[in-house]
Amino acid sequence: MGTSPSLPPRLPTTTDLTSKEGRLPRDPTPPPTPFSTSRADGIADAAMASTSSKYAKHRRIGEDEEEEEEPEEELERFDDFTIASSWERFISEIEAICRQWLADGPKILMAKGAESVPSFENLYMVKRDLKHGKRVYCMEYHFMKSAKGKYSYWNDDTHSTQLSFGVDDFLIIAPLSASGVVLDDPESTKLLSSIAIALSNCGSNWPAFVPVHDPSRKAYIGIQNMGTVFTRRFEADRIASQVPIRLMHLEGLHELFLSKFVLSSSDFPAKVKVNFSMKLTYRTPEYEYDHEETLDSEATETIAESEVPTQPRKQWDDDCPWAEWYSAEDPVKGFELTAIWGEKMFEESLEMAEVENASSFDADSWLLHPVVSPYMVDDSIGKFVGFASQLYLLVNAFESSGEAQFLEDFVADNSGQDNSKSLVTVPPPSVIDRVMKDLFNDEAGISNYVEAENKHGRALKGAPSDSLFAQFCLHALWFGNCNIRAIAVLWIDFVREIRWCWEESERLPRMKSTSKIDLSTCLIHQKLQMLAICIERKKSLNCEKDTDLANKEGISNSTAPSKIRKGSAGVVPSMMLINIFQEMHAPYTQDAPLMTEDMHEERLHAAEAFGNAVGLSGQLERDILSSDMSAFKAANPDAAFEDFIRWHSPGDWVSEEDKADGNSTWPPKGRLSQRMSEHGNMWRKIWNDAPALPVSEQKSLLDSIREGEKVVHYLETLRPQQLLEQMVCTAFKSSADILNKTSYGSFKLMKTKMDQLYATMASTLKSLQGKSDISDLAGDLKQLCQVFEHIEKLLIFAASVHRKLIDAPRLAQSIFSDYFNYYLPKMGTSLESICYESEFTTKEKVGMLERDAVSSLFRPPTANQSWRKVLSMGNLLNGHEPIQREIVFSVMERVSNGHYSSPTPLCTDEQVETHRMYISGTSNDLWVALSVTSWD
Amino acid sequence: MDSSSSSSSTAQQPDFDYLFKLLLIGDSGVGKSSLLLRFTADSFEDLSPTIGVDFKVKMVNIAGKKLKLAIWDTAGQERFRTLTSSYYRGAQGIIMVYDVTRRETFTNLSDIWAKEIDLYSTNQDCIKMLVGNKVDKESERAVTKKEGIEFAREYGCLFLECSAKTKVNVEQCFEELVLKILDTPSLLADASSGAKKNIFKQKAPEADAAAGGCC
Repeated sequence: MGTSPSLPPRLPTTTDLTSKEGRLPRDPTPPPTPFSTSRADGIADAAMASTSSKYAKHRRIGEDEEEEEEPEEELERFDDFTIASSWERFISEIEAICRQWLADGPKILMAKGAESVPSFENLYMVKRDLKHGKRVYCMEYHFMKSAKGKYSYWNDDTHSTQLSFGVDDFLIIAPLSASGVVLDDPESTKLLSSIAIALSNCGSNWPAFVPVHDPSRKAYIGIQNMGTVFTRRFEADRIASQVPIRLMHLEGLHELFLSKFVLSSSDFPAKVKVNFSMKLTYRTPEYEYDHEETLDSEATETIAESEVPTQPRKQWDDDCPWAEWYSAEDPVKGFELTAIWGEKMFEESLEMAEVENASSFDADSWLLHPVVSPYMVDDSIGKFVGFASQLYLLVNAFESSGEAQFLEDFVADNSGQDNSKSLVTVPPPSVIDRVMKDLFNDEAGISNYVEAENKHGRALKGAPSDSLFAQFCLHALWFGNCNIRAIAVLWIDFVREIRWCWEESERLPRMKSTSKIDLSTCLIHQKLQMLAICIERKKSLNCEKDTDLANKEGISNSTAPSKIRKGSAGVVPSMMLINIFQEMHAPYTQDAPLMTEDMHEERLHAAEAFGNAVGLSGQLERDILSSDMSAFKAANPDAAFEDFIRWHSPGDWVSEEDKADGNSTWPPKGRLSQRMSEHGNMWRKIWNDAPALPVSEQKSLLDSIREGEKVVHYLETLRPQQLLEQMVCTAFKSSADILNKTSYGSFKLMKTKMDQLYATMASTLKSLQGKSDISDLAGDLKQLCQVFEHIEKLLIFAASVHRKLIDAPRLAQSIFSDYFNYYLPKMGTSLESICYESEFTTKEKVGMLERDAVSSLFRPPTANQSWRKVLSMGNLLNGHEPIQREIVFSVMERVSNGHYSSPTPLCTDEQVETHRMYISGTSNDLWVALSVTSWD
Repeated sequence: MDSSSSSSSTAQQPDFDYLFKLLLIGDSGVGKSSLLLRFTADSFEDLSPTIGVDFKVKMVNIAGKKLKLAIWDTAGQERFRTLTSSYYRGAQGIIMVYDVTRRETFTNLSDIWAKEIDLYSTNQDCIKMLVGNKVDKESERAVTKKEGIEFAREYGCLFLECSAKTKVNVEQCFEELVLKILDTPSLLADASSGAKKNIFKQKAPEADAAAGGCC
């Protein structure tokens, strides 16, 4: 070593205390740390500078000598110790703390409340404040919960100090000041000396570090006592700008490393076997469309087009289901790819140049990490705009819906309320027109919405997705700021359009032509279903009137021998009438009258009110039976009651025919069941009273004109609160359905979450149907919005990851589940936003076969881009430079006993890492850390 | 099982703790109406086939609770099926009845009626019960008890054989069903005569225990 050790501190003696000259050597004058102006070159020299561990050893040796020389002064010296200089007290204080930490060991320290170092799973830290003179220092001991493997330093769980210097546990001592850095060299060297002495005293091998210089330089000096023979010294420094070109390339960095021991020792041969390992971090380029969007808004379309003609101008989520309503910020800003090159041996700097040109595909492993937009974890209300935010507004509108009896009230008086103007603004009529055009667009045609898509969907009492009312609700969400007044205006126009359809017998758009009313949907949708059916009937009634005459003639032509058969739907196979040898005809029958939920309710109430009085409740059912009988009679003019029963209620016909005999005989043998044949049987009575009338001549069971008018009346007089209740249900359901349509690679976790969302919605929205307290409900609904937001964000994230890594589905799923697990703790149900501190850092290993898919994320830069950027570092991936290049150089040397005449026997075959250099660099930033092991 | 056919209470609050809606389904002629008549009026007669739907109310005291049972009896004829579908709504209990002497009434349960339940029932947790009627006609038996048990296991429902004629197991049948409904909180929530409860507040302790809630 080229530096001269300063005087070893001696234990204080009385003489030292009295004489000023004697005290001086005790405060160790720091060795001059030769940081040259060219810092990168100076690193080597600097590393050799601090040799404080030598103090420790010398001190012990000196101590021994003194003890041998003056054994009788033992007691006196002990006394002196108590009145030792502040520096010595400082050392002993450090020593005491270290002894305590050493004695405790990781397990007890953790039990005593060592804090875990943020973002490191395995790393924990204890710290103590120390006072020396006027300055307060903080000593931190970082230790690992469990030991690590040897080559795991590229692992993410490695602290920068561990990575830089190749150490495991370590101590850092720094002054408690704003910058936390020891500013002058003497102080830092003194501090390091103190800690080295203390550690040596307690026989610890912990490396210790002291920050030096300006904090931006991230410069450190450090020392580690390695047994009695070896000492390791550490030194790190940084060049933050104007990195010499030589040091931007592997070759130059390799030479820098070599220069460290060529300078320090002539023992090394010219060709040194250097171990090399490298980690390259790439970041995907910015997506172009972000850039274009700004151009777009400035209406400079032509320029944008001419600039980047190959790429279509679009948002990332243009083809996602939600894009019809809003555009989400891409939660995945990009990806960081880490390519790691494992340990390799090199002898010449020239070989390094080859590595620089090698393809990243040759790297040993690839790790991918998504760069996630901060909005994903920022859940302060109002930050995220999506369905969740609009639903929140809708819930607010729901809360205020109880304030008025009629929707018109919200629209009418607004002149007096200037203060809340901003809250209740209504978009201009042009916007309303656009919405109405979209809703009642003829081309929308008959919607093919699926009823009751899934179990939970059915439990949600809303309108089916894509149906007229569902579409209305979605429009309302994005209509202005979805305040109650805007909703009222929109609804009134909506009902006006429906009234028009009814009057003009125009088919309702976005309604399935069906003959059933789905009672699991919301009442408004049921009413619209009813109206659609009524309009259909009304239309066909109008048609019939025109063609009535012609029809009648046609029927009279096809007269049967005895009586006219009317309204037959066809022959019932192998059924003959009982009294006459004729085939039985099944009649056309009327559809059972359609009822919406409220009509059923009414009937139930009526039935309950009549109580057990038999028969009173069944008028409608009897009408249906009677209608069926009339139709049957018309289709089979010679039929008997028995024939009707055989067709309508086969269970009540006791056949006495031999079943083994395939051919049925005529007349059919059998009798009516006991209950049918009893005297006063209701069925027979109705049969006797029923006239023979085909369906076409019967009075309709459903009065479509009346029912249709009732529906429109219902819509026109709907109470605001009832409207909002149904809108809330439908809007939640439809929004969830839209999200659910997104293709996200069917990630299992996402699917489960979606299912959970439906379940949560079902249970929350269920209480809307009961008449609970509105403010209570609104609270629940707002919580539901929160849940919705979390899932919406996760889903958008899933969709983004999925489409970016469409060719690497396994990788996409793993990345999603990493993020999911990171995000999960956030998903509490509380309304307060959670401050989320830990960052998402998990990297996912890229399989060999997935590398192509990942590299395609790095689109080769356009001529334009490459022109802008000067490439200087090499190690390109598809023309992109790494954003960071980290390198570890090391030299191992076999230690032979013979070479060093050390009294303490060492393991002779031990490989010792004599020099290690960690370099982290970009084209304008270089950070170098050096560890040198030396023997004395 | 105490029962009082009519309510005489004049108090302001509802004179029952829960209102349960029960539904009887099954092929025509299996004895649904007879079963209902036996239970509500303790009588047995050959009834006219039900036209569409019939309805009975019975007040009972079970497990210390005053219960109002609204029992809907539906017609088994195919023609009425579309009409009766609306009665599945909100039913807490559905009784599937078959005639042990007519095999097709049993097979139709799985072919038709169980599907109807899946299609129309709005209560996810609604309790289903399989009842084999007419065990008095043991000699004509066409469906064994074992087959009934197998079916009940497959569809996850309660099972009982009874006879409306001889009164065997009729009360037990309704009582079992009601007890099961009383054991099912989600059904009770709907059926409570009191004000609807806040679901989040109800679930609060559960959610805490589950550390963060499900969603």
